[in-house]
Amino acid sequence: MIWGLKRAVKYALGTDVAGRNLAVYPDDTFIVSYPRSGNTWTRFLVANLVHPQQPVTFADIERLIPDCEAMSSRYVKRVPRPRIIKSHEYFDPRYKKVIYIVRDPRDVALSYYDFSRKYRQIEDGYPLTRFVGDFVAGRLSSFDWGTWGENVSSWFYTRNGRPEFLLLRYEDMLSNTESELAKIARFLNIEPTPERLAAAIEHSSADRMRSLEATQGDQWVSTKNKRSDIPFVRTASSGLWKEKLPATSIAEIESAWGPLMQELGYQLTTIQGDSRGKVESPELVREHR
Amino acid sequence: MFSRLIGGSKMMLGLHRPRRSLVILPDDTFLVSFPKSGNTWSRFLIANLVHPDQPVGFENIHRLVPDPYATAKRDFDRMPRPRIIKSHECFEPRYPKVMYIVRDPRDVVISQYHYHRKCKKIEDGYPMEKFVARFVAGDTCPHGSWGENVGTWLTARHNHPRFLLLRYEDMVADPRRELARVATFLNIPADSERILKAVERSSAEQMRKLEKTQADQCGLTKETRKDLSFVRAAKSGGWQKELPEHLVAKIEDAWPHLMTFLGYQLVTRKGPVPVPEFSGLVTSGV
Repeated sequence: MIWGLKRAVKYALGTDVAGRNLAVYPDDTFIVSYPRSGNTWTRFLVANLVHPQQPVTFADIERLIPDCEAMSSRYVKRVPRPRIIKSHEYFDPRYKKVIYIVRDPRDVALSYYDFSRKYRQIEDGYPLTRFVGDFVAGRLSSFDWGTWGENVSSWFYTRNGRPEFLLLRYEDMLSNTESELAKIARFLNIEPTPERLAAAIEHSSADRMRSLEATQGDQWVSTKNKRSDIPFVRTASSGLWKEKLPATSIAEIESAWGPLMQELGYQLTTIQGDSRGKVESPELVREHR
Repeated sequence: MFSRLIGGSKMMLGLHRPRRSLVILPDDTFLVSFPKSGNTWSRFLIANLVHPDQPVGFENIHRLVPDPYATAKRDFDRMPRPRIIKSHECFEPRYPKVMYIVRDPRDVVISQYHYHRKCKKIEDGYPMEKFVARFVAGDTCPHGSWGENVGTWLTARHNHPRFLLLRYEDMVADPRRELARVATFLNIPADSERILKAVERSSAEQMRKLEKTQADQCGLTKETRKDLSFVRAAKSGGWQKELPEHLVAKIEDAWPHLMTFLGYQLVTRKGPVPVPEFSGLVTSGV
């Protein structure tokens, strides 16, 4: 009852978290990904690209590209249109224009392990193999957004290949930041001049984001009151799973989502290429608009 | 602001519709479909199966098989468990157990057209051509396009032990067999007599009769045109007579693989269509 009262007052004041009840406008653009897949870096890149006047910090990222799962419905409603909104949601038909970032789930699992420690959801010594089991089976807090496979496939098999959907791989963004950001610029109808791209990349570098986190970590909604000895901005690298993930955990991830991983270009190391589930993805659900 | 105050007060009393904030319990089962795919008939069948001693009608269906968009939160909280809940959402990973009803999109579009007339969303002479174009683009309801709704569920859950796929056409052809599958899925010990009774009590004639007397007591039909009925033909294949060929082609061109996979034979396309293999596409967590 008390909980209900609190919720009711929050709703009346518009301070309830927007989340999946977010009021969507037709001119919204969404940056969507599974958690720990490069979403925050992309937000910085896009915010710096769209607002080149002043380098973006953690103090103003929510104002520029709000997180609809962290900010209130009133807050997100008041952001000037056209809005660019950050989200981790699995397929939502109301999202018409979407930048979707995907990352190798073997790296995502590792990153989410550190994140869960930072958020005090697990202890420091929690066994990694058990954690990966939880990750695959959907027993972690990230299951609010489905499993990795459910989240990625719900978008990939419905929207890939459509003009209003831009699929980016985190790994490509790391190795080829400029050309991937140019894709984003064109998607947002921004002229991708080399100077503008270079400035946005510079202002979103891992080094700069790390030093911003050090000074602003206690103000930003996603790092406030969390363990400050574990950074939110981690290694900003790919392929760490090859060193850090036990073979059994790699096998567990690959047997859960092998066909999808292969379609996204993530080579399997523990199981033979499996033709099960192979479809021409853009054809599965195709629409004429 | 004012509407938020009213909303907030309703919330305090539990009178609001929980919608997407519905608290899902581990023993919930969801009855999911794209709109106009036999969901209401299935709700009646299941309610009659689960509550054989209680007359099921339009006035109490929202309490027996509740709808998060129509039933108050208070009623959800008071329901005996395990609950069976109606939904039209696209794939929702939090639903622990799902019965998904799918219907030939060529029939769905006709049914939705008449439903929009009934709800006064379109006028009587609204061009079918225009409606089909909107239908294919997913602009006729807030639950995605037919392909998005069906596709997201099949991709994530097909062949999963806690997912039951039902075809409306099979239900029309042999309701007793299909309802027996439902009973097994729900772990309801149902002899053939109980199933037969549920089927009879949920027949189209029976539902039409109930609609006549109870239409004003149900959110589905309240404030809609009374000259058009909610319970329509209750048949499959009406599109063959009612839908012009070029519009049939539009729908078949939109979702050829999905339709073929579901056994809906394409009539306007030449050559074979590769059929997707959904099993194993995603191993799901639940």
